[in-house]
Amino acid sequence: MGGGGGGSESGEPEFQIAPMIDVLLVLLIFFMSITTSQVAKIDKEINLPIATDAKKKEKNLANEAILNIRWSAAKQESLIMFQDRPYPQTEPLVDILSGSKAQNPAYRVVIRGDKALPAIEVQKVMAVIAQAGIDDISFSALNQ
Amino acid sequence: MSSKRERKVEAENVNLGFQIAPMIDVVFVIMLFFMVMAGAVKKEMELKSQLPGMAPPSLDAPQEMPDEIIVGVEEAGYVTLNEEEFDSPTDKKLPNFTATLMRLKQEADNRNAKVIVTIEAEEQATYERVIDVLNALTVAKIANVTFTVGGDNGF
Repeated sequence: MGGGGGGSESGEPEFQIAPMIDVLLVLLIFFMSITTSQVAKIDKEINLPIATDAKKKEKNLANEAILNIRWSAAKQESLIMFQDRPYPQTEPLVDILSGSKAQNPAYRVVIRGDKALPAIEVQKVMAVIAQAGIDDISFSALNQ
Repeated sequence: MSSKRERKVEAENVNLGFQIAPMIDVVFVIMLFFMVMAGAVKKEMELKSQLPGMAPPSLDAPQEMPDEIIVGVEEAGYVTLNEEEFDSPTDKKLPNFTATLMRLKQEADNRNAKVIVTIEAEEQATYERVIDVLNALTVAKIANVTFTVGGDNGF
């Protein structure tokens, strides 16, 4: 783009607009992509806790189950969400998770819990995961 | 009639081509917006943990007995290590607790021993505080974590 040289006949260097637009658009696409890809994953129903030293997430959705644990402060009760479906009873969830673990030994669970959750609710979810025979678990947290 | 024709000629002479300068202005503004947003974006990270009861037995050389550390998380936010209180309940970074864990891990590594941490949280202790403790364990590179609440058998 832009024709070579960058100089006029008199030898004076000229400002080339076309390469500048190229660079600007590349920068714009870069910043757009890093901003939107992170925001899209955050579930607004859950306020994740902050852990500044947590590791970067593995991007392997086929090998992992994401358990969202919502907390209703008004009702003082938690609700487990898995694949956009609520599970007030944990038995069906154990069956699903153990089935996935049997098919894929590398299957893991990511717990996305609200920061206001009492520890007893987290333990109940960990009991479900243990019943399904899964030992590899991760806790989701925000970096800031 | 003639004025109409003149206006038509004028309109034909107006250059309706692509204007580069306003486009650059707009692109600059959009780029600045995304640059500023990129710094403040909240990124979802993860704290890994392995439930120790289910890990396959190691086939390596026999190890020493694992060191078990008991970490308590109280409802008020106090964090204890082997019943000794560390840091203030509002301190998210837990610097003294983290430094002690790192020292214990280093000692265990020197003896080729495994470190197993049992988090004993009170029933109404917040998940946020448990995550603070898990964050400190990540800094100390301890991954074997057992979790118990209110004196129940843990996982």
